[in-house]
Amino acid sequence: MPTQGLLFDFLAVALYLLVGVVFAVVPLILSSLIVKRSMGAKREETYESGMQTIGSAWIQFTVAYYIYALIFLAFDVDVLYLFPVALVYGSYPMRDLVEVLIFVGILSLAIVYAWCKGVFEWQHQK
Amino acid sequence: MIMWFAGLILLIVKLAVVLGFLLFLAAYLVWVERKFLARLQIRYGPNRAGRYGLLQPIADTVKMLTKEDTIPDGADKGLFCLAPAVVAMTAMLMFAVVPFGPELSVFGRKVPLVITDLNIGLLFVFALSSLGVYGVALGGWASNSKYSLLGGIRGAAQMISYELALGLSLVPIVMLARSFSVVDIVQAQERYPFILVQPVAFVIFMISAMAESKRIPFDLPEAENELVAGFHTEYSGIRFGLFFLGEYVHMQVLGALVAVLFLGGWRGPFLPPPVWLFIKIILVVLFMIWTRGTLPRLRYDQLMTLGWKMLIPLALLNIVVTGAVVLF
Repeated sequence: MPTQGLLFDFLAVALYLLVGVVFAVVPLILSSLIVKRSMGAKREETYESGMQTIGSAWIQFTVAYYIYALIFLAFDVDVLYLFPVALVYGSYPMRDLVEVLIFVGILSLAIVYAWCKGVFEWQHQK
Repeated sequence: MIMWFAGLILLIVKLAVVLGFLLFLAAYLVWVERKFLARLQIRYGPNRAGRYGLLQPIADTVKMLTKEDTIPDGADKGLFCLAPAVVAMTAMLMFAVVPFGPELSVFGRKVPLVITDLNIGLLFVFALSSLGVYGVALGGWASNSKYSLLGGIRGAAQMISYELALGLSLVPIVMLARSFSVVDIVQAQERYPFILVQPVAFVIFMISAMAESKRIPFDLPEAENELVAGFHTEYSGIRFGLFFLGEYVHMQVLGALVAVLFLGGWRGPFLPPPVWLFIKIILVVLFMIWTRGTLPRLRYDQLMTLGWKMLIPLALLNIVVTGAVVLF
């Protein structure tokens, strides 16, 4: 079996993950063995500045966050294509430059569009 | 087969050393931060536990271990328990691709001083940094507390926005180094560190990295005077400790990334390579602490404006300019 190569590389990652999990789980177990348990009805109430908790927190929140998630999705997928391009950049000098220019230009339109639509302005609810 | 086992044992030794060092340093970074911040604010900082408060990290650990950790009523138990682990794990795993020295030769065997030299190292880092968002968003949501929820969604929106700038700022680096492998990128900086040829990318990366680590001036997900503690309001005891550990490991990893991508990694005169990497990491981390001591928190719309209207267009421009300069 090889000590170099892709498989071994990811074996290393897997092993790292495993050791990391051990590092994370051991304190949890250790702590569960030694902590004092308190009793009381209010112990598990969520914090609300000392007031009694009102209702669940799983309610509607402003849509602005959601829009950011949407443009991120649209944008990030495109940005990923830039990475392989960067890797082989310069193999065909002039063509590469023009192509990157076109790609980045179209990509920028996404930002220009969102900018004009006022996505980046924080709208106050009336 | 014997070679394979030798490789495996070597790997385990490297893992133990790196992880041990990472966690030890994370504990002491807390001390460094408190002490340095205190000095910036003309205070003493921790000085009760041990000389100069040097035993403070141990005292903190013991305290967190012995504190009861509660799961709030109505929380999503599974996700609630998973979230801190996700934050800590993703931060730790990123260190797997950071080289801390040149290839050594021990008993005729080649020993690369990196846990694993993935040929897609940079993409691996991005993937993990994206996964880190889950820890924050899910932790905030699963707590079933209003403060946590607000912190969680703020964190998610902020981190994905700055991740774009982070990724885009590194495209020119890949163009120059012609490789995703972090080892190759350090190799490519043999003559000069990339900060000299890519100062704009460096600034964008640095700002986005600070935003990714959710520290002042970008600490809106945990803004303590509006959201109590933001996404980890409901966490206590050792679970909170894991979030805390994750944050400090993340700081180190970002320091390490800045060091290997822009400052030439382990390169430097006189001192051994790992020491140079360590010095560079500490310098970046100290800079981040200094920033925390100096700047006020941004408003949320300012934060988003900075990311989307300044950093991302600038990063795109930087790609095109670098593309042109590389060719001519």
